[in-house]
Amino acid sequence: MRLDGKGLPIVALSTLTTAGLAGRGLGRRVLESSLPLPSEIAAPAPSRPEDVRQRKLMSRAAWFSALVMRGALDEARWDEGRAEIGAFFGVGASGAEMDEVARLVAASMEDGRFSLARCGREGLDACNPLFAFQIMNNFTLCHGAILEGLAGPNAAFFSRGTGTVTALEEACAAITSGACERALVGGADTALHPVTMAELEREGFLRQGLTPAEGAAALALAAGAEAPIGYVEAVRVFTVDRPRGALVPRTGVLRDTAVPAAFDALEDQPCDVVVLAPWGTPAREALMDLPEVLEAEHAVDASLSLGESLAATPALAWALALDLLAHLDKPRALVLSAGPDGDLGAVVLGRGVWGRSSARPSVAPIDEEGA
Amino acid sequence: MKRRVFVRGRGAITPLGETWPASRDALAEGRSAVGPVKHFDVEGYPSQVAASVPFPLEEAEDRRLALARRAADEAWSEAQQRAEPERIGVFVGAESGRATYGTIFALSRAAGGGARFDHARFGEEARGLATSVHAAAVSPAAIASALAARIGAEGPVETISLACASGAAAIVSATQAIRLGLCDVALAGGVGADVDPFMLVGFGLLGALSARGVSCPFDVRRDGFVVGEGAAFVVLSSSPGDEPRSEIRGAARTLDAHHLTAPDPTGDGAERAMRGAIEDAGRVKIGYVQAHGTSTQLNDAVEAAAIRRVLADALSDVHVGAVKGAVGHWIAGAGAMGFLCALEAVEEGLCLPTAGLTEPDPACMLPHVVGAALRKPVEAALVNAFAFGGANASLVVSRCA
Repeated sequence: MRLDGKGLPIVALSTLTTAGLAGRGLGRRVLESSLPLPSEIAAPAPSRPEDVRQRKLMSRAAWFSALVMRGALDEARWDEGRAEIGAFFGVGASGAEMDEVARLVAASMEDGRFSLARCGREGLDACNPLFAFQIMNNFTLCHGAILEGLAGPNAAFFSRGTGTVTALEEACAAITSGACERALVGGADTALHPVTMAELEREGFLRQGLTPAEGAAALALAAGAEAPIGYVEAVRVFTVDRPRGALVPRTGVLRDTAVPAAFDALEDQPCDVVVLAPWGTPAREALMDLPEVLEAEHAVDASLSLGESLAATPALAWALALDLLAHLDKPRALVLSAGPDGDLGAVVLGRGVWGRSSARPSVAPIDEEGA
Repeated sequence: MKRRVFVRGRGAITPLGETWPASRDALAEGRSAVGPVKHFDVEGYPSQVAASVPFPLEEAEDRRLALARRAADEAWSEAQQRAEPERIGVFVGAESGRATYGTIFALSRAAGGGARFDHARFGEEARGLATSVHAAAVSPAAIASALAARIGAEGPVETISLACASGAAAIVSATQAIRLGLCDVALAGGVGADVDPFMLVGFGLLGALSARGVSCPFDVRRDGFVVGEGAAFVVLSSSPGDEPRSEIRGAARTLDAHHLTAPDPTGDGAERAMRGAIEDAGRVKIGYVQAHGTSTQLNDAVEAAAIRRVLADALSDVHVGAVKGAVGHWIAGAGAMGFLCALEAVEEGLCLPTAGLTEPDPACMLPHVVGAALRKPVEAALVNAFAFGGANASLVVSRCA
């Protein structure tokens, strides 16, 4: 999808990474290699009473999502008319808190074996009655929407990469079609959940250089804005052929798709900054010479700095690209994400007023109590 | 000018039938598939009934995939669509599957086996368990990918996870994709295979399941929903074909932004979804509503009130049915099943009834179809799907003139 004119304005963003909850500064930290290595994020603890109540029912990713939604809304100063704001997120397999599952299992053991009957009698009482909601994917979107009062058009796309790009595409479509004038879009996920880790191991991703991580990012899009921080110029998902039964394409096939996809997304416009988000070594090798092909001045591999946080990765890469445009004072960036779902997401972003602001981006530290 | 979106094929496997025609015939008679859970021990469970699919299925990594294949094959076969692979999209409403108890048990033991999960110990000892967690069993995206490969689709492949609204929301996404020109043909629908211990545990503890073991939407005796399973798909196309029968005219999605488990008692989110879909449809005369109707106390009353407000004076020409009385609640697949029921009304004039409904609750007063199906010409039908977490999706489908 190519947006008319300069594109669709981005008025705010919020990210949650190992560097903490921040609106800006991710680009500089990546360029300076000053980001902590991908690891479990010390997310801020809930402080508001409604957060404390709801956090007990949230998966980790849902809490991440709620934090970045709030961050983007605050930065956008969207205090009014929240019921009309749309929300489109890439979400992961929202694993239940393992402590909860472990309690259920522990209480269901009989003579060293798991007993369904005992689970019915005693296992049920050992866990939170609402734990079923931790495993429903859409709650990664809905918790934040409830806390922040977002009630407009919406969708949660299961994502291991391109689902999040689809979320951006649908958000843009919702705004351009007039279904809503403002929308939050992003992704939140953790690849560090034990079941997800086991799944990635089984599929061979960890052996091929996938660095599991977690995080979240949200962008605030609007139909119009006087001083946006950037623009979405184009967004598109490209399907990549893969061998029958394989989850990801061969390196050469991904490369052969990526080059025309990049030119297609850019529509012959020059590109100054390229941000790549390859899930691991094979995808990295497929994309690595793309910046040279595109004659881009600057290229950053987001996954090397941020790791692979599945549904969150593309959104974090967009935030990184916007920050780089501001930091480097460049007009246009291409973000290519190649996640473990095997397909390719291409997003073209334009610089807004950030780069011309006297106030340089800064990283907000994590609240000490939450760290 | 929006591109038109025609319905070209449909398919379903339900607890009442292996195909959509077989299911439809059983639904038209007012039959219900709700019965005792037999394939695992439910002693001690708060709810011990479900609507299970009793038919043998092809072997698959995951039950959802086996169900989805059957329904998708039927829809694709009826549609007989030809298009370039990159112009065919797949849109599936699905939630995550669940690892087996055996896997969870093994993971838990590897992490110490106590009531707390020791992540560090897990990291050291549990890697060897990786082979016991099958990707297709936990990833909802595996279904869309498998269906895309099956029909040779290389256009947009999306998995929408909006809990009980997923299936309808997937049809909304497919409609938008065709309207935007992202694809010309779309396989869209949903699947749920939730007759499993985790679901009965989770929703049972929550008190959302019927303790009486009856699914009776809008009835005065309703006391919760009954878990079901099945898959329903349609094939949508920008091309009407030689004899177009129906088209999607309106689609909308909203959020309640109210509560995790309960609908907004004002019904505002549901009302906005219905109004949005009807407004999107333009001038149509709604003659049938396939309600979300879960058989829970609050949901049914809130939905009934919202329908009355939205349709107002037009309600006198409308009839309302809710399929969950017959086939239980498929969660991610439910909205797609509702859509098929609405299609039947506009294409065949067959308004399917609400099984289990014998004594309508005064708080849910609507022109219900009770007992057996009602025959009448229907120009357009409204479909509702409302989810835990507050996501709402509504669609308007109409008969082609």
